[in-house]
Amino acid sequence: MSKPKVAFFDFTCCEGCQIEFTNYGDAAFLELLNHVDVVEFREAMSEKTTEPIDIAFVEGSFSREADRARLESIRERAAIVIAYGQCSASGGINALKNHQSDYKQFVYGADAEQPQLDSQKAQPISAAIKVDYSAYGCPVNKYEVLQIVAHLLHGKEPVIPNYPVCVECKRRETVCRYDEADHCLGMVARAGCAAPCPAYGVPCEACRGFVDHPNVPALEKVLVERAGFSQKRAADKALMFNANDLEALS
Amino acid sequence: MTASFIRSDDFAAFVTALIEAGPVYGPVAKRSRFAFERLETPEELRLDYDVTILPPKKLFFPPAQDLVTFDGAGFRAALEPTEKVLLGVHFYDVKAIDQTDLLFSERNYDINYMAHRETTTIVASNIQTVSKRAFFASVGADVEPQGHDAFLTAINGGYVLETRTERGEALLAFGAFQPATEAQIAEAAAVNVAALERCPEELEHGTEAIADKVRAAFQDEELWTTLAADCFSCGTCNTVCPTCYCFDVQDTWNVDQTSGQRTRFWDGCLTEDFAKCSLGEGACENFREERAARFRHRLMRKATYLNEKLGGPACVGCGRCSAGCTADIADPARVINQIMAS
Ligand code: SF4
Ligand code: SF4
Ligand code: SF4
Ligand code: SF4
Ligand code: SF4
Repeated sequence: MSKPKVAFFDFTCCEGCQIEFTNYGDAAFLELLNHVDVVEFREAMSEKTTEPIDIAFVEGSFSREADRARLESIRERAAIVIAYGQCSASGGINALKNHQSDYKQFVYGADAEQPQLDSQKAQPISAAIKVDYSAYGCPVNKYEVLQIVAHLLHGKEPVIPNYPVCVECKRRETVCRYDEADHCLGMVARAGCAAPCPAYGVPCEACRGFVDHPNVPALEKVLVERAGFSQKRAADKALMFNANDLEALS
Repeated sequence: MTASFIRSDDFAAFVTALIEAGPVYGPVAKRSRFAFERLETPEELRLDYDVTILPPKKLFFPPAQDLVTFDGAGFRAALEPTEKVLLGVHFYDVKAIDQTDLLFSERNYDINYMAHRETTTIVASNIQTVSKRAFFASVGADVEPQGHDAFLTAINGGYVLETRTERGEALLAFGAFQPATEAQIAEAAAVNVAALERCPEELEHGTEAIADKVRAAFQDEELWTTLAADCFSCGTCNTVCPTCYCFDVQDTWNVDQTSGQRTRFWDGCLTEDFAKCSLGEGACENFREERAARFRHRLMRKATYLNEKLGGPACVGCGRCSAGCTADIADPARVINQIMAS
């Protein structure tokens, strides 16, 4: 039996999630290559393909209308499309620019008028094509990605949590940030990362996006009442990775 | 069984001897809080702890427990229980262990819990510091803690160890114990009674009155919607609870497609997908879709549904959920008192 063909494609992003794929360490990575055939992967090889593929990992946000045709051609060729990383799954950190107008001058200065810098709102790729599964996180959790691949190869639905980071945080018995006069977004953030941030003593920033039904008004209330935030700061706190979702909820 | 006394000066040597004989778990400091961990030295043991983040249940029923591993050749049980001592369990957690002992052994004898439980010698200890949200004195007050092998109480100049079982009696060989005097036994009893009077919160009504009125409030949609308005469905009130026992089982395959493991994880009825069931052919149904319904379910479980089976409420008043809920809405004492006053 021929091995399933896997390919990586990138749009608006830092390609950090692709790099994460090369971080398994030699043994695990080579074991993975025994079971899949990577046919396109810009971060690690120069070959490209126009052949049908079994699993397409699509990294990055949909932020230019000009990218739609390329996304559609990937969708046509791929049996399974996985939004790979938070830029792709929710718009991620790129969506921070959605409510600003002067970012081009701010970032590129004198070069701001180059045509390739024109962009629209940063959106998840699901705004352009149908997505089958999402590998959340900024960057993705490489162990979760391995689980997703293993389950798909096995013909089984990948299990991706729809409970908050607090579940994993408490399972590992981390002292809550709120008990240490800090703040945290773990109550609305989608788990699956094993809650490393609070365990290292820093707040969860919800880099894997929200759970399906985040209680955003309650989050603002807790940030104001327990973490001493201003109302404005509380309302903006989750923007970093969730600007599109906050806009949709408001 | 017997009552013995050990001087404070000899206590560290006793704990050291236990540690040398096998694994010993006890409360240790974790940043600003406490957790049951395996002891390396007697100095780590903090019998003055108020409450641990997770209950001692985690030693018998780990948050993530591999049940079997499998490969092309077959299945293997992952269970490897070892003899151990669990030192410093407060009486409310002993009461909670009594509940999980029953729930994991009646009808289906859950070997993955019971094997760990049967290899554990439990030494309870008196409550030296009462946690900020505790109400253990007023909940199920007539239910006695059972499942411990010995009870340790700090008194002037040392500790009284009252043994309850042969296993507990065997501990005496590890330290410089002598028979306790009548006065020392009386002092230990007074210390334990005094702890009950220091709870910052209390239920204002008895178990049966609460059970009846909470159950009667089931249909009051406005009540539950209001109570759960700030709920994050984060399940912390389940995860930290010593009497919650729900779990989810997941199979994971390794990329080789032939090997993998079956693991069970703590689950919690407050999380959104807890009650999501398959209807077959890809369809599913969530029979507690609203957070108010989930919030109500936990309260019902803690205050009424299980009372008959357990001989008392499925809440032991540890206050972990009250303190752990970031929205501060989970406190059973406050919710129950509010319902009783309405
Ligand atoms: S630290 Fe954050 S993730 Fe952990 S329990 Fe507290 S709020 Fe939840
Ligand atoms: S704890 Fe929060 S910020 Fe950290 S990896 Fe998980 S989702 Fe991202
Ligand atoms: S009641 Fe509190 S701890 Fe429980 S799920 Fe809701 S927010 Fe989380
Ligand atoms: S419901 Fe809350 S107070 Fe009662 S036993 Fe569970 S965690 Fe403790
Ligand atoms: S309260 Fe909920 S999670 Fe806890 S044991 Fe009962 S049903 Fe299970």
